Amino acid sequence: MKRRTIVAGLGVAGAAAAAGLYRFTDLFVKHYPPTPYDDVLAVIDREQASRLGRAALRTMPDFDVAKTAARLRAAGGISGAAAQDVEQERMTEADGWVVPQSVALIAALAAKFQP
Amino acid sequence: MSAYIDARTLPGGTVLSPDIAIVGGGPAGISLALALADTKLNVLLLESGGRDFDSNIQSLYAGAASGVPYAALDAGRLRFLGGGTNHWGGWCRPMDEIDFEARDWIAHSGWPFPRKALEPYFPRAQTLVEAGAWTYDGSGDAIASAKGPVLPLGKGGVYTSWFQFSKMRGDVLPTQFGKRYEENLRRAAHVTPLLHANVTAIRLAPDASRVDHLDVATLNASGGIGTRLTVKPRVTVLACGGMENVRLLLASNDVMKPGLGNQNGLVGRFFADNPIPRDVATLVSFSGALAPFYASNLAMDNGAILRATFAPTAEFRRARKLAGSLSTVEQPVTLDETGTAAVVTTAIALGVDASRARAYSLGCGIELKPDPDRRLTLTGERDALGLPRLKLHMTLSDEDFARFRLTLAELGRQLLASKAGMLRINCSTREEWLKNMDWGHHHLGTTRMHVDPKQGVVNADGQVHGVPNLYIAGSGVFPSYSASNPTMNLVALTLRLGDHLKKVAA
Ligand SMILES: Cc1cc2nc3c(=O)[nH]c(=O)nc-3n(C[C@H](O)[C@H](O)[C@H](O)COP(=O)(O)OP(=O)(O)OC[C@H]3O[C@@H](n4cnc5c(N)ncnc54)[C@H](O)[C@@H]3O)c2cc1C
Repeated sequence: MKRRTIVAGLGVAGAAAAAGLYRFTDLFVKHYPPTPYDDVLAVIDREQASRLGRAALRTMPDFDVAKTAARLRAAGGISGAAAQDVEQERMTEADGWVVPQSVALIAALAAKFQP
Repeated sequence: MSAYIDARTLPGGTVLSPDIAIVGGGPAGISLALALADTKLNVLLLESGGRDFDSNIQSLYAGAASGVPYAALDAGRLRFLGGGTNHWGGWCRPMDEIDFEARDWIAHSGWPFPRKALEPYFPRAQTLVEAGAWTYDGSGDAIASAKGPVLPLGKGGVYTSWFQFSKMRGDVLPTQFGKRYEENLRRAAHVTPLLHANVTAIRLAPDASRVDHLDVATLNASGGIGTRLTVKPRVTVLACGGMENVRLLLASNDVMKPGLGNQNGLVGRFFADNPIPRDVATLVSFSGALAPFYASNLAMDNGAILRATFAPTAEFRRARKLAGSLSTVEQPVTLDETGTAAVVTTAIALGVDASRARAYSLGCGIELKPDPDRRLTLTGERDALGLPRLKLHMTLSDEDFARFRLTLAELGRQLLASKAGMLRINCSTREEWLKNMDWGHHHLGTTRMHVDPKQGVVNADGQVHGVPNLYIAGSGVFPSYSASNPTMNLVALTLRLGDHLKKVAA
């Protein structure tokens, strides 16, 4: 077997192993394909958020992904945004849950990118 | 010492002439009799029933209904000594100042006097209902916090308020007025309780200027008319409850054709109760189980039994044009997937640990807006004593629920503001509100109090407009209602009437 073929073969096997490991760790930490909004979504539990997000999206027919991400970034992340919303009475309901608007938005964003 | 008399043992045609006849031996009638016991006035307390439940007597209460489903008229009342306190829950809370105000966003609201006029009577009323040391909102937080943490709420329109509970001696809960005050009435020299005495008509003098006499009848063993008696009092006080007072007034129509006191068509209108829809919301406490005084009634170190409830502040009610409401934790519940997701996501966003979060259902008591079409009228059907039966037409407006929903949303926001928890509102549609609907069995508003005879059946003293020697006691005179349970309040109002009667009848 040519050396090049062996190296290539190892590479494929390595990739396959890495992929396997990746899938295996998926059981513990879900891995998502990259999105332009990973910085925004990084802080939350995306799987849980997307469940809430599906409910939130039902009341947001005009949901705009880019605008939402921009708003959350401008607020300096979800923690600041959520606290400000509560303080300034910017609340919304998702499946009846009374949540800060920013929480509904980040949840909806997560739902949009939930594979 | 005055003995209880069984009206069935009196000879037919007996005429009794007390100074004051109190018709009805429920908490209103008994409180009034006790209030007058220290005077020289001869008081006759006429009670339809005996000391215990009797199905023949109870069936006098049966009636018809239309409109929104409501409790059967003979199910939400008890017709024997002690009246409704033979099956009440003992929940007590004084009405708020704002409940007495004319609120421009609630048509027909407002009492002819402020809460201040009732306040001198609250301590005695609290003693009579045996609800322990006056604690409520003044010191509820401080006293309860010895038993566990009070859930912090962020700044806003809802605050933690407190119910107290009636507790009869020993382990009998709550106070049953008939049994509890039997000895007190027996010891009152000038008070005569007359049992099995059904007032069947209030007879006016021919010029309608005053009550001349009361027709009284007993039921015989086979459920028909037994003995007929006459009572000729100087002053009569109706204390038969918010439904039965109406029936007696409307049926007493020989002189005033539309019914006694009904010259303006108001008797029986404006009926109200406190709807108690269950499971209206899910409250999540992030830090784990709530203190025990949320989901149950808990005895405190000062002897009072307290339970926390969530109430809108007066400012919030004014700003958002809300009615009163009291939301109370019911029982632990399990969250569904979306609920868990809401808690996890919100907790992360707020930076709190919700790993021990616990969820509870909330129930509530709501104040309805006065509605003249929610109404009691007479039917053509008659009971065993020949009295026409009542029919209730019940209404509930979507606006009442929509108003209350705003309070729940504010509570949800304040829980987030304090990072203590969060809330789901479980009801949006009318069907959802009605699905788990219960009632307080608080019979309010049917003989409303107003200084203007065109807007009320009784004046600010409880006197029927135009009939100087006829008064009404009980929550039927409440012109607007509050979310607080009525009994402690109606007892206070009755004690105020007692003071008035001491002056006018002495
Ligand atoms: C299940 C239930 C739970 C409740 N829980 C609470 C609670 O937790 N807190 C609270 O504040 N309230 C509660 N209530 C309401 C409470 O019972 C009433 O507010 C209270 O009993 C009203 O008092 P009352 O004296 O005006 O009328 P009633 O208690 O109805 O008494 C009227 C009396 O008049 C008598 N009577 C009727 N007709 C005649 C007649 N023609 N002649 C002579 N006598 C007559 C009756 O036999 C009765 O004894 C509850 C009610 C029910 C049904």
